[in-house]
Amino acid sequence: MSKVVMLEVKGLTTKYITRFQEDVYAVDHVSLTVEEGRSLGIAGESGCGKSTLALSLMGYYFPPLHYMSGEIIIDGRTITEMEPDDIRREILGTEIAYIPQAAMNALNPTQKVIDFIEDVIQAHDPYKTKKEIYDLARKSFEVLGLPADVLQKYPVELSGGMKQRTVIATSVILSPKVLIADEPSSALDVTSQKMVIKMLKNLMEYGFIKSMIFITHELPLLYNVTDDIMVMYAGQIVEKGTAQEVVFDPLHPYAKGLMGSIIVPEKGLREVELAAIPGVPPNLKNPPAACRFAERCKYVRAECEANPVPLHYVGGGRAYRCILPEKELRDIYAKEARTREVHEHAR
Amino acid sequence: MKHTIRQIFRSGKFVVGFSIFVTILLIVIVYPLIITGEPLGIIGQGTFFPPGIYVSVYDSIGSPSYTLFLDDAAAKRIASKLSNDDRLAMKDWLIADGVPENQIDITDTEKLLDLWEKEYDPDKGLPGMTFAKQRYYQRLNDSLEGLLSTEAAIIAAKNAETGVLEETGVVKQSDYVNVGEVASVRVLPFGTDNFGRDVLTELVAATGVSLQIGLVAGLIATLIGLTLGLLAGYVGGLMDDVIVFITNLFLVIPTFVLLILISFSIGQEQRGPFVIAVVIGFTAWPWTARAVRAQVISLRNRDHVNLSKLSGHSIAHIILTDILPYIASYVIMALILQISLGILQEAALSILGLGPKTTEDPTLGLMMQWAMIYQAHILGKWWAYFPPLLTIALITFSMNLMNTGLDQVFNPALRD
Amino acid sequence: MKGYWKYFLNKLLWFLVTLVCAFILNFILPRLMPGDPVAAIVARLAQGMSNATGVQAIYQQYADLFGTNRPIYEQFFLYMSNVVRGNFGYSFSQYPRPVSEVLGASIWWTIALQFPAIIVGWLIGNTLGALAAYVKGGFDKVLLPVSIFVSSLPPFGMAVILMAVFAVNLRWFPTSGGYGFDLLPSATWSFVWSVIVHYQLPFWSIVLIAIGGQAIGMRSMSIYELNADYVKYSRFLGIKDRKIVGYVFRNAMLPQITGLALSIGTMVGGALVAEIIFSYPGLGYTLLNGVMGQDYPLISASTLIVTIMVLIANFVIEILYGFIDPRIKAAQAD
Ligand SMILES: Nc1ncnc2c1ncn2[C@@H]1O[C@H](COP(=O)(O)OP(=O)(O)OP(=O)(O)O)[C@@H](O)[C@H]1O
Ligand SMILES: [Mg+2]
Repeated sequence: MSKVVMLEVKGLTTKYITRFQEDVYAVDHVSLTVEEGRSLGIAGESGCGKSTLALSLMGYYFPPLHYMSGEIIIDGRTITEMEPDDIRREILGTEIAYIPQAAMNALNPTQKVIDFIEDVIQAHDPYKTKKEIYDLARKSFEVLGLPADVLQKYPVELSGGMKQRTVIATSVILSPKVLIADEPSSALDVTSQKMVIKMLKNLMEYGFIKSMIFITHELPLLYNVTDDIMVMYAGQIVEKGTAQEVVFDPLHPYAKGLMGSIIVPEKGLREVELAAIPGVPPNLKNPPAACRFAERCKYVRAECEANPVPLHYVGGGRAYRCILPEKELRDIYAKEARTREVHEHAR
Repeated sequence: MKHTIRQIFRSGKFVVGFSIFVTILLIVIVYPLIITGEPLGIIGQGTFFPPGIYVSVYDSIGSPSYTLFLDDAAAKRIASKLSNDDRLAMKDWLIADGVPENQIDITDTEKLLDLWEKEYDPDKGLPGMTFAKQRYYQRLNDSLEGLLSTEAAIIAAKNAETGVLEETGVVKQSDYVNVGEVASVRVLPFGTDNFGRDVLTELVAATGVSLQIGLVAGLIATLIGLTLGLLAGYVGGLMDDVIVFITNLFLVIPTFVLLILISFSIGQEQRGPFVIAVVIGFTAWPWTARAVRAQVISLRNRDHVNLSKLSGHSIAHIILTDILPYIASYVIMALILQISLGILQEAALSILGLGPKTTEDPTLGLMMQWAMIYQAHILGKWWAYFPPLLTIALITFSMNLMNTGLDQVFNPALRD
Repeated sequence: MKGYWKYFLNKLLWFLVTLVCAFILNFILPRLMPGDPVAAIVARLAQGMSNATGVQAIYQQYADLFGTNRPIYEQFFLYMSNVVRGNFGYSFSQYPRPVSEVLGASIWWTIALQFPAIIVGWLIGNTLGALAAYVKGGFDKVLLPVSIFVSSLPPFGMAVILMAVFAVNLRWFPTSGGYGFDLLPSATWSFVWSVIVHYQLPFWSIVLIAIGGQAIGMRSMSIYELNADYVKYSRFLGIKDRKIVGYVFRNAMLPQITGLALSIGTMVGGALVAEIIFSYPGLGYTLLNGVMGQDYPLISASTLIVTIMVLIANFVIEILYGFIDPRIKAAQAD
């Protein structure tokens, strides 16, 4: 049975124009699909363009971010063809919603939570009465396990975790089809983190949202939370597949290196060393035309730095961006694993 | 470091501010090398000589004379003695004296003067005329004497033996001297002040002293503020409470009031420029202390500081190597602000009569005070008050510009 | 409301504490300096006042007023009780007028001049600063340097310039005084008109200076707020830009109010000197007369009054702020 596609992105490219009029290409020909009921995780090191991708997916651009090319289709509607004000009214919050990276500061400090929710709802439906809005807000907050008196408070009166959960509840108040959560738990303590993650997992179950994109540094989290994973490097997708595939059988050397840095007490992952990948990502003001990872790649060859590398699709939504064939990469990794085992025995 | 400096100099505001400041500094340093002489030397007898080139009349007579026939010489001579206002005043007098208005044509100089000579009587007071007005007409009358004459002026000297005047030379109306050949010429670009001192020379000296006052005051204020801010922010606890209390107290009690009380109590004799600078410095620190404390608190729990603490470094070591470098840019901006505030405070105090009492060193504030006391601003003697005022404004403007530039480099959020 | 009361009491306590400290400073600073005030007074008396009975009277008055031969803390309480009863002694330079009478006349001139001017300057400055941050472009490029220049001018400088242009050259306004020198204070139309005309230049010189500083502050606050996370978040929830701008300026305004509370002392200090330029019959000019006449009681009383005025203004602003910023009530409640 074929599932309904909630979000489809084709070749999306956006850039920042800095105040010195330099271009920064932080999202470069990104394509992805998210089906109803599924969640997609996006991983990558700091500065690779995860947040920029999240912003770009909203289809609503303001300086310094500019739209260049590509399509965003939400539940069959191509929003990249719409006027900004129509997007604001008909799409933002209702079709696609966003939880910012710094959710701690995402609420206006001088406004009560309920007043903000009122502004949000009235931006789309000016005729909703205060009473209706309050009832709606109270109901969703209660379903999501948040006390209703949060609505009458100012953000300063809420703890960090509570603020974060309030932001999440506010983002989904209009039942968007796609939710984009940008590192929603990174700045929190462990208990609050768990609560936030649990809440996100529940959102789909309770019918607040139909699909989700989840961005984080923490790979173990992705593996636990999302169905699919996409790895970004320097503004490009370098690998995508199901969570199982990307974590246990990464193909791209960067993804392989990244997975190497996970410690998850699960079979097969325990013995993997905590490997930071040496080197720094290329400057996005003028990234190399050929493979962007070549400079840091352990397995680099002369051909790598000759031509742009396309994304290879290997079936079932699985793809990776490397000139080496799938089989050769697997052989290399297997050989490496053997030598490491030998070393460890020797010790 | 190099990179930061390059970035700073890429900020337009900083560069403009820096250039103005360096120009002022260069003038202060170079000018005294070229124009030597007491900055407070009294060279003029009388107050507020207007800006211009002063040529010795006596030396002009002795200088070689050249004959030039210039068409407009006579017209200019009359115009300089008999302005349009004067003509109107003459008309008023004549009408009041009973001359019918239609007989008076103030554009015809010759007729007007004829009429004037015939009618004017210095002893005659017209009804409702103030004494000052009467004196004005007398002076005007004197200056008109011989205005239309084409005769040469005779130069005479007393015979040393007989005491009789003897003609020694004749000055024709077409005689000219070359200013370059007159032995004594003095350029006074800003004229003289109320005491008859060269305003420009005084201004340059005053700028130097004011800058020094600003520097001393700024350094003291920054040093105190920095120390207290570091102690409060880093040590914390009771120390923090006490320092915060004192700082907040001095933030709300107006600094200017403290300055007045202290300066007045010190007494006139003790109030040199240095003492004033110290007093300003000792009252200006609270802003800096407060700001530094806030910065230190935000730094206190950073990883590198914690690491340093764990490695058992002393407080002094941590402050010097792990905290100071991170707030250095901030402290420099605070220092610049304090210097310009110091200059402003000195000026305000001086206007109130509580500035440095000195007979050797002028300051910008004192120049303003002298000008104000002698009513230069009401008399329209702009050259006595405007140059020091503009200098104060340019110094503080340049410093504020530099600060704004620095702020934009160090606080990227403020970039447009 | 409970939260607000807590805030209010807190501020009231702080107000009283600062008041007491200001008192102590006003008393102690002159006495810490070489040559205590009474000794100085006696010395100055010896230098010669022409009025012999006046000399005697003043001497007696000050011996009693300061209790010179008693210990310092007793002197302090004596001073306190005198001040509370409004007794500041006689003015040296305007003997036999008591200091309270000299000041009583000038306080109202200063209050009527400075507080409206500071408030108007604050309002205009904040509006311009907010506009510069929002409109950007040419307006901002012009406004920022101009504001920096204007706020670099000392307040007396602005006074001198306005006077030179509008009073001396254009003769639109009189150069000095609070009203025509040929008039006596009365409720006549000509007197009121004269006061209004004399008010303009001192008023605008204070306003212009305030505008410069406030515009710069508001501009950076607004830019900071415009980049805040809640702006982006609100936009992505589809809220209209106009509404978001409303959030931003409200939030940028709040720190400007506390900023005003903190800078009001500096502003008043500057404005006092501006008063002097116009020979405005307020406290600034009284202070100048005090300094010129070496009139210690007058100076001491003026500085105390200025301080109290500033502290009260500061207190009132803080209290109003508590009403305006919802976070105050919220933060104090728990
Ligand atoms: N406002 C901006 N103007 C110009 N360049 C920007 C801007 N914001 C981000 N960038 C650049 O775009 C690139 C991608 O940034 P982005 O914030 O998307 O990374 P990220 O993957 O989300 O990093 P992190 O994990 O730290 O959040 C970076 O190189 C960054 O320097
Ligand atoms: Mg990010």
